[in-house]
Amino acid sequence: MAVVFVIGYLAIALEHPLRINKAASAILTGAIVWTILMLGKDTIFHDAEHADHEGLLHHLLEHLGDIGSILFFLMGAMTIVELVDVHEGFRVITDRISSTKRTTLLWIVSIITFFLSAALDNLTTTIVMCALLRKLIKDKETLWVFAGMVIIAANAGGAWSPIGDVTTIMLWVKGQVTTVNIIVKLIVPSLVCLLLPLLWIGRTMKGNVERPDSVIDHGHHGGGNVTPGERMLVFALGVGALLFVPIFKAITHLPPFMGVMLGLGVLWVVTEVIHMRHGLDQRGHLMVTAVLRRIDMPSVLFFLGILVAVGGLQVAGHLTLLAQGLDRALGDIFLINGAIGALSAIVDNVPLVAAAQGMYPMSQFPPDHLFWELLALCAGTGGSMLIIGSAAGVAAMGIMHIDFIWYLKRMTIPAALGYVGGILTFWLMWH
Amino acid sequence: MYLAIGLTFVLGYLCIALEHPLRINKAATALVTGVLVWIMLMLGQHELLGAAEAAHGHEGVVESLMHHLGDIASILFFLMGAMTIVELVDAHEGFRVITDRITGTNKVTLMWVLSIITFFLSAALDNMTTAIVMCALLRKLIKDKNDLWTFAGMVIVAANAGGAWSPIGDVTTIMLWIGGQVTTGNIIAKLIVPSLVCLLLPLVWFTFTFKGTIQRPDAAAEENAGHKAVSTGKRNLVFALGLFALLGVPLFKTWTHLPPYMGILLGLGILWIVTELMHMNAIETDKGHLSVTAVLRRIDVPSVLFFLGILTAVSGLQEAGHLTDAAHLLDAKLGSIYAVNTVIGLLSAVVDNVPLVAAAMGMYPMEQFHADHPFWELLAYCAGTGGSILIIGSAAGVATMGILGIDFLWYLRRMAFPAALGYFGGIIAFWLLWHGA
Repeated sequence: MAVVFVIGYLAIALEHPLRINKAASAILTGAIVWTILMLGKDTIFHDAEHADHEGLLHHLLEHLGDIGSILFFLMGAMTIVELVDVHEGFRVITDRISSTKRTTLLWIVSIITFFLSAALDNLTTTIVMCALLRKLIKDKETLWVFAGMVIIAANAGGAWSPIGDVTTIMLWVKGQVTTVNIIVKLIVPSLVCLLLPLLWIGRTMKGNVERPDSVIDHGHHGGGNVTPGERMLVFALGVGALLFVPIFKAITHLPPFMGVMLGLGVLWVVTEVIHMRHGLDQRGHLMVTAVLRRIDMPSVLFFLGILVAVGGLQVAGHLTLLAQGLDRALGDIFLINGAIGALSAIVDNVPLVAAAQGMYPMSQFPPDHLFWELLALCAGTGGSMLIIGSAAGVAAMGIMHIDFIWYLKRMTIPAALGYVGGILTFWLMWH
Repeated sequence: MYLAIGLTFVLGYLCIALEHPLRINKAATALVTGVLVWIMLMLGQHELLGAAEAAHGHEGVVESLMHHLGDIASILFFLMGAMTIVELVDAHEGFRVITDRITGTNKVTLMWVLSIITFFLSAALDNMTTAIVMCALLRKLIKDKNDLWTFAGMVIVAANAGGAWSPIGDVTTIMLWIGGQVTTGNIIAKLIVPSLVCLLLPLVWFTFTFKGTIQRPDAAAEENAGHKAVSTGKRNLVFALGLFALLGVPLFKTWTHLPPYMGILLGLGILWIVTELMHMNAIETDKGHLSVTAVLRRIDVPSVLFFLGILTAVSGLQEAGHLTDAAHLLDAKLGSIYAVNTVIGLLSAVVDNVPLVAAAMGMYPMEQFHADHPFWELLAYCAGTGGSILIIGSAAGVATMGILGIDFLWYLRRMAFPAALGYFGGIIAFWLLWHGA
């Protein structure tokens, strides 16, 4: 079983050389792990209590409930962001950027990304910022450096907000961290993690950026149809819906995916009412049904597969063994999390955090324990060191065609600087 | 609070049924309804739940929500996986294995051929996908709008009838099968005859009222537009693998005892890798539309979200106790399982059949009707085929309406009567066959 998992994992990490989509490897790994678990249950479990179908299926159902709540949250949040994007809602932000001086622009873009990714998810923030960067910068080398900073800023910004990042969402949904606590404890380390690379890169960047020639391009995807009032309304409702989720959870105690579903439902009704007056020909691309087609379903299936596989390892007991190994070998929570973060640059951070969640029971580290906050920081920001280390990086690579090796040469040192700096800051502040 | 929840549900339901006049997507309404029901359940938990359950507080309610979500997610991921496989086969033109064999132009012959193909195809695939594939095909075979719509109507009736007797043929049957209320061998044996009757009665009706030959559309050339890229060997391979992945699911379940969505994920994973390997040498832009990533974009996510919302809402009603009360009422008023199921089937023509079956599953505990009880089989039949009576009564109908632009009233005048004939004929056939059992 462990062998299947490792092979699946390798196939995922080597997605690009192998040219096999990681979602395919992930769902296959997930299904095979559970098949082996089911067929080999007599050799894996020795007590009668575990070794029957019913018990295992019950575990699977429980895992699926958890997985479903994460995936439906992501789907809902991604839809809301895409909906705001097609209504050009983000122009509220992009129209305010008029500077052409490189250093200034870099600081502005990074800080906007940092706070935007705290409210939205990293992947979406990166997609929006990359779309924006392409309209602001012509030169390829400059564009890639900016995109690299967007990745770092998005990951750093996602770490300290409960809804900013997939891994933080996972910790938050499961109750390992709470809203206020994670913000208070992680905002300074995250800022350090952003500022160190920003200073490093800012030093080497001089001169002005050249904008692409066709400025008309700015409103090209049909934005001409949307009035400023409608755009503002959708932007306000969309951001409101996303920011409302933590509040919704505090009031009703219902899990976050319910809050996002409510927000999406309301936004859906509002946009349909807005567009009712216009024909389908003019406004077809603005409808939620059209927007849903732009959602990144392979990512959803990838998460499904990988989470199902990790669930299988957890039930079979691999994770408990690994936890004991890591505990014995490293001992200190700072070292353990440092190692997890560094690992998350090589492999995806979602299964690592899922593994850590399965490894350490809540009875060992209670909610809001330093361990969980450090885990959120490390898993969130460690992935910036390699371009395939985070969802934001992979998205940016897809949009901008950034080279793996280029990123390694140019961005890895500043990103590592920020990562270690962030951990040090956290240690200085809270140990 | 009990009343408020019921009222919210009915209001939400009305908005869903009146989706087209209101012009508000039913998925949006369903999502909002689902969340509102649970908010009210959360706020009114002390009043709604027994003292023992309320003692757990928020935790207890959240835990039951997560439990329901596990069930809901297993249905939705199965649907998503199955829909992706079918779309993938479709993108590779795999279905031409079927369509190339159809050459007749006599209306009655063609209708029999198409209906019977649809009947068996929808038993293997889901109704909506079957209807979509058949409609795409019909548009290439028939020119006249009135003929086209009549054929499409028969496709809806055949797809719903074919979906009822196969464990993987229909959303509601899948629900019953995943829930363990029906088993593979049993449902096929008990329902194939009633389902066939439900198909044959409308077919015979049209045999006597429908004459002449059809005219094919002029541009036969467009049939080949854009898919020269797929070789026959590859097409057949994808078709065979896709069909095998879908048909392998019941076998996989019997062998490993894992839920069906695991089998679908396994099949999808294999098919995904095979197609990526197949297209590896081709240039990106050339084969872009054939990759799974592109195919995933064609999946009907609004339907997935609609099911998510409506199933969440129904699970809320179940927790709050509405469904148990409704069960008692229906039981007390009607008594016979035939009467109860007939009413459910007729209701499913007016409203969606997924929540009705979900409600029935929540209403009648397995202790009352054990697995493979005639009640569950009749429910699968009624909920599956009753929806053919109105065009918005089934997923297949809604899909067809979208693709061919069929009018609600036209369908009511032309198709409602034959569909109802088949529906009642099937129930009578079931009664004759199994009422002694």
